[in-house]
Amino acid sequence: MARKLMKGNEVIAAAAINAGCRYFFGYPITPQNEIPEYMARELPKVGGVYVQAESEVAAINMVYGAAGAGARVLTSSSSPGISLMQEGISYIAGAELPCVLVNIMRAGPGLGGVQPSQADYFQATKGGGHGDYHVLVLAPANLQEAADLTQSAFDLADRYRNPVMVLADGMIGQLMEPVELLPARPAVDLPPKDWATTGTATSGGRRRVINSLYLYPDQLEQHVHALYAKYAAMEHAEVRYELHQCDDAEVVIVAYGTTSRIARSAIEKCRRLGLRVGLLRPITLYPFPFAAFEQVIARTQAFLVVEMSMGQMLDDVKIAVAGRKPISFYGRTGGIVPTPEEVVKQVQALLGGGP
Amino acid sequence: MSTECPLSPEVFTTKDFRSSLKPIWCPGCGDYGVVTAIYRALATIKRPPHEIAFISGIGCSSRIPGYTTAYGFNTVHGRALPIAQGIKMANPDLLVLVAGGDGDGFSIGGGHVPHAIRRNPDLTYIVMDNQIYGLTKGQLSPTSPRGKKTSSSVYGSMEDPVNPLLYVLAYGAGFVAQGVPADMEGLAKMIEEAIRYPGFAFVNVQSPCITYGDADTQLKTQRMRMRKLEAEGHDATNRLRAMELAQEYGRTLYTGVFYRNPNPPPTYESQIRERQQNLRGETMALEQLLSRKSTDDENLTAS
Repeated sequence: MARKLMKGNEVIAAAAINAGCRYFFGYPITPQNEIPEYMARELPKVGGVYVQAESEVAAINMVYGAAGAGARVLTSSSSPGISLMQEGISYIAGAELPCVLVNIMRAGPGLGGVQPSQADYFQATKGGGHGDYHVLVLAPANLQEAADLTQSAFDLADRYRNPVMVLADGMIGQLMEPVELLPARPAVDLPPKDWATTGTATSGGRRRVINSLYLYPDQLEQHVHALYAKYAAMEHAEVRYELHQCDDAEVVIVAYGTTSRIARSAIEKCRRLGLRVGLLRPITLYPFPFAAFEQVIARTQAFLVVEMSMGQMLDDVKIAVAGRKPISFYGRTGGIVPTPEEVVKQVQALLGGGP
Repeated sequence: MSTECPLSPEVFTTKDFRSSLKPIWCPGCGDYGVVTAIYRALATIKRPPHEIAFISGIGCSSRIPGYTTAYGFNTVHGRALPIAQGIKMANPDLLVLVAGGDGDGFSIGGGHVPHAIRRNPDLTYIVMDNQIYGLTKGQLSPTSPRGKKTSSSVYGSMEDPVNPLLYVLAYGAGFVAQGVPADMEGLAKMIEEAIRYPGFAFVNVQSPCITYGDADTQLKTQRMRMRKLEAEGHDATNRLRAMELAQEYGRTLYTGVFYRNPNPPPTYESQIRERQQNLRGETMALEQLLSRKSTDDENLTAS
């Protein structure tokens, strides 16, 4: 398939359809409207269903229903809408159903603004809704990766019977880049959906019940332990990250998504100034690439965490570094995207040197 | 304790309710007419701006409190009514206005409307119904007509619209009216009447979206299409007839008061006050409770 210039939101929508997603339920919110609009236009052409729900609460519960019926299903929203979906996400995780969620983050809290932000990291990676559960979180930094990760998201959701979130922001959603979409391909090595409510003809006459209610504490504890065995398997097999120019780096910038793009430009500038700087870019935010820090921690003098938030991934970096090296933080919030120059200044403050 | 606030002796003009903020709606938006009608209504009500709380949800139309001098509360999408009820319970003496769009009131917030109505707080709920989601750039709304093509209904909507008038009448709203910005005088008058109605009052304003709305919903067309209920000889105390006329929503543009309950039931807040008085016990007065000094705290812990 040829490379095509596309908008981030449309890339995600197109990749989902190529991954076999045939159901989309959502509610309008800026800056992700191109995803539902693409789905409204394209899903009926491939025999799919698009519904604009009456609210995000309705949308996530329609997702719950379609997922229970064994379909590949997507919803997308932006921060306030994702907050509204948290109850449903907790139920879907509890009932062990696969689905894909896209959060094109905007600045909060509350209604906040419509400009890009990364302030939903805690919500995405630490639960968001109630109870002991996790959502697998993928954070693309460019549109090719947005396409690839969206397609992987559906496989991961099916493999682990768990919601998978593609976490991007208004910048990734709105920018345009050339992309080569993976062609539609049959899923391989995925477990059969022998839990789906597809009728007794396919279940050998046995009824299947989808449920997240366990009134006996010992049964619920057992259920949660089973969920955590899945999360342990994800932590073992699904961690993704990128190391960029870390071999000789005295400062390692830790950033994901949009801020990792800015960090990359900053690193180029730093290198020209003779500053040895590298990038550790988490691609899965849950599971977080804790072990990746071991590859760089011996050489680096300091870590610099850059986020479009007041410091959320920072906490995971602190856990990874465990006090062995100093950690600085640079964050912009409210919808402000930091410039590479701002990041260079932070590096200079750490290392000295340069003009 | 009286629920009535003393009327201010001052004379109010529309200017007293106009804030210094310049509205940022599109030129030609119907909402300009709505805010003007609200200024006029408030000038006749003669309550000073500081005794008025104006609550809105999220959407183009929900910017409206900012353009008035009343206390403003731009809340959560779909949740203006629950928040307004919280305000009215906490301070029943305030004149509480609630506004929002058709999406706010009849899509995401639709579930709250029946419960606000059956509690019957003394609120005035003004919906600027433009049959489209304007702020998010032109998606289907709950009042969009069947077949409507929008960016989220590319091949035409497959859903029937919500009928806001029938909806609130069915749940028992005591005052139900519909206006158009094209008829400023009529709109201002019905907002004034809605505010004066002692209980939940609903005004649906067919407020055209100049950017994403259909040509046949714009102000010029409204002037030709509107039919005044008063001129039709409608008896606004006849609820069943009001429901019959409300069926015409989306076809005939009736304006005026559909229904006004001739025997308004007690409001929620008046019932609360009555119950509080009946059940008043021997507990410490709230003012005293909230002004305790730290030594009192220690005494309480010790005992």
